[in-house]
Amino acid sequence: MIAAPGQGRALARDEDQTAAARTRIAVQGLAKRFNASGREFVAVDDVSFEVKQGEFVALLGPSGCGKSTILNMVAGLLPRSGGRIFIDDDTVEIGKVNPRVGYVFQRDTLFPWRTVEQNIGYGLEIARLPKTARAGRVASAVEKAGLAGFAQSFPRMLSGGMRQRVALMRTLILEPEILLMDEPFGALDTHTKLEMHKTLLEIWERERQTVLFVTHDLGEALTLASRIILLSARPGRLKEDFDVAIPRPRDPVAVRETAEFGRLYSHIWHSLGEEFRRTRAD
Amino acid sequence: MSNSRTAILFWQLAILAAVLVIWQWGFEWSKALLPKGYVPKILDPYFVAKPSLIWQSFLRLGCFADASGFAACIKGNDNNLWLATLVTLKNTWWGFLFGSASGIAAGLILGRSDFLARVFGPYIVALNSIPRIALVPLVILIFGLGDLSKIATAWLVVFFVVFFNTFEGTRAVDRDQIAAARLLGASEFTVLRTVVIPSALAWVFASLLPAVSFALIGVIVGEFIGAERGLGKLIIEAEARANASEMMVAIFVMMFVGILLAIAVRSLQSYLLRWQPQFEPSV
Repeated sequence: MIAAPGQGRALARDEDQTAAARTRIAVQGLAKRFNASGREFVAVDDVSFEVKQGEFVALLGPSGCGKSTILNMVAGLLPRSGGRIFIDDDTVEIGKVNPRVGYVFQRDTLFPWRTVEQNIGYGLEIARLPKTARAGRVASAVEKAGLAGFAQSFPRMLSGGMRQRVALMRTLILEPEILLMDEPFGALDTHTKLEMHKTLLEIWERERQTVLFVTHDLGEALTLASRIILLSARPGRLKEDFDVAIPRPRDPVAVRETAEFGRLYSHIWHSLGEEFRRTRAD
Repeated sequence: MSNSRTAILFWQLAILAAVLVIWQWGFEWSKALLPKGYVPKILDPYFVAKPSLIWQSFLRLGCFADASGFAACIKGNDNNLWLATLVTLKNTWWGFLFGSASGIAAGLILGRSDFLARVFGPYIVALNSIPRIALVPLVILIFGLGDLSKIATAWLVVFFVVFFNTFEGTRAVDRDQIAAARLLGASEFTVLRTVVIPSALAWVFASLLPAVSFALIGVIVGEFIGAERGLGKLIIEAEARANASEMMVAIFVMMFVGILLAIAVRSLQSYLLRWQPQFEPSV
């Protein structure tokens, strides 16, 4: 693992990290092999990293580098071919849902037959929280998502950005301590994306969940994350791991004008460029 | 908008009027105007009756024009139009209900279990290949001439239609939606209740509308082959007397029964599927 120049992990972070911060996610020697038409290929090869309490880590890499595969293995949605994953002290197992972990999909997975309110309240409803106890929390989540006035609307009446806000709130209302996000804003246009960044930054800077965020968008990673893990092209291996020392609270537009953003942007750009060239050379 | 709506209504009424007029007087007119041999047989009231005769038969069968009075007429005929309609409607309803309920249940179970789907798959395909109507005599042999055999016939025709659609609908449920529900804490049963069933419902309803018509067909065929009461029985009896107008009365009543049932299913559908654009309540 190569440290970016002047960006050692020892440098002071903007987060309230202490040396003793608890490890929430530990990935050790993770591997994933697929069988495609009789030929085996390696999607993820010997990946190890840790995410500490309250960190916002972006998993960044070129398309097809296996970053979503890594996330899905951390979420227990996909079996792994090798290595170990711990969330706190529990091994991740397929089909065993950890209530401390929330997951946000890239694809729209809202339930189209439920209204905005019913989608957001889904987790509380199936946990059999009485209606009266749910109503307040759902209403404030609808408010927080900026969807007041749309509580009774069905998802198809909403724009892409609004739908993804509903999806985010559907997960956040259960107050997960750890958030796994799989390119949640990948399908949105630039403007909507920036608005979603603003929403997510506001929430995260207030609540400081531990976040593992998969993206191929360099600007997005720099805007949101406190740390970036850069993956190589297939097979996905760890390439670089560095902190993003841009002070908070961040504004998704203003952050792009900071010197740190520009410096890291060009550094990662070149690093990613090597990976793209490698992919093409294959 | 209102202009074209008026135009549509105008043409609909015009067509209805034209059909009724030709049906009523067409045969006499063509007999007067056309050379012998060119008179269309299809207009012969002997075969197709005519509106005025059908109306008279309706009044007679419906006990509106009986000398003994309405109540006595109803009592005197245990397959009068009202009772026959009621019996046919009732049997259609129960056959439809049992058929669709069991079709939905079987479709959900096999749709969610690859193992069971593979075990039962060939049997279902084989059974589905039998023309259901061929089984009606057997059903009547087993369940007798009463209502039960009609309900069973309707069940037979409804079950497979609803089963196949529910099965496909269950298979087509978005896997990510199921994963999302799991990650939000849903158990297998909760996933079934809150994701699979609502998601498959559009497919189920797509089969329920034809299923209603099928149920009615099943009951009528059952009544043709062996029954004590019902609209089908009424038709068979009229046929024995070569009474076309009475047959027409029964056919029209069936049409209304069919429309009634379709409206019932449609309104349930537009309520349960109100989240889909085509069922959006119009503003």
